[in-house]
Amino acid sequence: MKVLLIEDNLELASSISEFLAREGYICEVSYNIKDAQDKLISFQYDCVLLDIMLPDGNGLQILSFMRLEKIQSSILILSAKNSLDDKIIGLEEGADDYLTKPFHLPELHARLRAIYRRKKLNGSNIIAFNEISLNIDTLEATVNGQLLDVTRKEFDLLLYFLVNKNRVLSRQSIAAHLWGDYTDNFANFDFVYQHVKNIRKKISAANGTDYIGTVYGLGYKFNTSKQ
Amino acid sequence: MKLVDKFTLWYLSATLIILPLNAYISYQSIRKEIDKATVERLMHVNERVAGQVKAGEPVSDHTQGCKIVVAESTADVPAGHVEVAEKSIKDIPELRDNDRKVIVSSYYNINNRLYKVTSADYVTRPEQILAGLRTSIMWKVVILLAFVILTARLVSRYVLAPFYSTLKKVQRFNLKTKQKLELPRTRTKEFNELNCFLEKMTDKAVKDYSSLKEFAENASHELQTPLAIIRSKLELLSESDIRGEQAHLIGDMQNAVEKLTRINRSLVLLSRLENNEYEATEKVPFSQYTRDALSAFCDLMALKSLRVKSHIEDEVCLHLHPSLADILLNNLLSNAIRHNQPEGAIEVTLNHEYLMVKNTGHPPTGPTAEMFQRFRKGSQCNNSIGIGLSIVKQICDMNNFEIQYHYASGLHIIVVNFPSEAAASKLLQNDERYLHEKIRQ
Repeated sequence: MKVLLIEDNLELASSISEFLAREGYICEVSYNIKDAQDKLISFQYDCVLLDIMLPDGNGLQILSFMRLEKIQSSILILSAKNSLDDKIIGLEEGADDYLTKPFHLPELHARLRAIYRRKKLNGSNIIAFNEISLNIDTLEATVNGQLLDVTRKEFDLLLYFLVNKNRVLSRQSIAAHLWGDYTDNFANFDFVYQHVKNIRKKISAANGTDYIGTVYGLGYKFNTSKQ
Repeated sequence: MKLVDKFTLWYLSATLIILPLNAYISYQSIRKEIDKATVERLMHVNERVAGQVKAGEPVSDHTQGCKIVVAESTADVPAGHVEVAEKSIKDIPELRDNDRKVIVSSYYNINNRLYKVTSADYVTRPEQILAGLRTSIMWKVVILLAFVILTARLVSRYVLAPFYSTLKKVQRFNLKTKQKLELPRTRTKEFNELNCFLEKMTDKAVKDYSSLKEFAENASHELQTPLAIIRSKLELLSESDIRGEQAHLIGDMQNAVEKLTRINRSLVLLSRLENNEYEATEKVPFSQYTRDALSAFCDLMALKSLRVKSHIEDEVCLHLHPSLADILLNNLLSNAIRHNQPEGAIEVTLNHEYLMVKNTGHPPTGPTAEMFQRFRKGSQCNNSIGIGLSIVKQICDMNNFEIQYHYASGLHIIVVNFPSEAAASKLLQNDERYLHEKIRQ
């Protein structure tokens, strides 16, 4: 997947591009609107990550520019402003999703994958890894063809792990992914632990490999090298 | 007491003190004038009688209605001497009349003989003067009272008009609208000074308020990007080749960043709520929102083995921004879960009048009213940033909901009263009783 990141903050841009590069994405960075417009005309991208506040204008300008130039890439807005108006305008102007800074990188990745899946017409609704398979439309999880009895949150969590394979997922990132930003729910970390425990139990019960491991002091990891 | 009443009262009491004094002075001066005039007239009479005596004419008993007595005198007084005496007839019991008599005796030297000419006349009695004064005073008081009372309100309405208009404008003044207070010029010096001062003061307040707001907003926005950098770098770091104890350090840092993020985000939300950025534009199906929120939290409740009871009436619609409806419910429910004990219970009741969330839990350590303050935590629960209820309170305030928190018989009870048209006035009137009834139900 080829991604254009339009973000004026060098540090953040380097973190994001490094993270995406490890996922095997080709990530190019623009630090201002002008440069981004040049790149968008010259090359084709699957997805555009767009910051709203840029040194030479408002990121929303890019949206109208892309519509004018009939550029079909998916758009994910990254904004520090977290303003509802921006969100609504952005989504109305053709953006596919909206993520507020500060975000977790695995969360960014999950959103990116989700909008990419949605955009690709021939994309399948099934996300699978070895014996584990998730149907995003029906919210059904199967292991070795056997249907797992999982709750909605457990399904979301498993999907989060599958999208971010071999990455350390912090408890904070999981909690934010499952319960959103606004609930001041630190106790949710216990619930993260419970959910992870339940999923592992359910996968093992269906004779699946226990890919999910604890990373001491940090969180969890979906380890594909486990046999 | 109204200003005009104070002035009226002061004026009337001053009048009541001054009028009797004034009457006394009038009485004294009238009496003196009457006496003086009578004495002068009698002296004239005496003069004329003396003239008659000198001319050798016979002297009648009465001249000009005054009784005259002419006698030779042996008293050792010079000619031209005048004696004045008063006599109250009351002293003479037979007459039983209490007239006052003025007697003037003049001494004349006629033909080398000393004559004493005495004339007397009756004058107005003091009581009669007093009676006249009394009537006039009474009328004065009645007319004054009527006039002052009738006109004071009219005049004060006119004179104090600039004051009342200033008062009204100041009462309507709201810092949050960021509108300057504009007061008209008047012809009264004091009111002009007041208006000038108020304008200056409110201008400064508006300026300070908006710069403070701007600072808070900018600060929280500017914090987002550095936070995003720290968070992303920590995530990248956690995936590099690290040892166990380093992982622990990173984990602690991530916790702190998480907390910072949440505090910052909540503060941004609060300031945005204060800016009225979340105006309710339409009614939201609150029953559905409540059910959704409950099902979103059912996992957490199950994990904590909480018993959940809910009575949700259908078709409860509220004038509330959809995001705020979510935040309100999420905060109330997650609070009820977090501060619960294992095997505890949660009860959610929603009808057209109120939303009530009851949960078991440890008794609160501080006064319940303080729970809505920012960064106030009920228990020393490190996992909470203590801003959730404050957000809930702010949402309620913005939308004219009334929120109450009680702790009774082991249950934390939070009630959010909705302002329904019929219940609104009832709520205002017997607030307390209404709530107690509701809690007992």
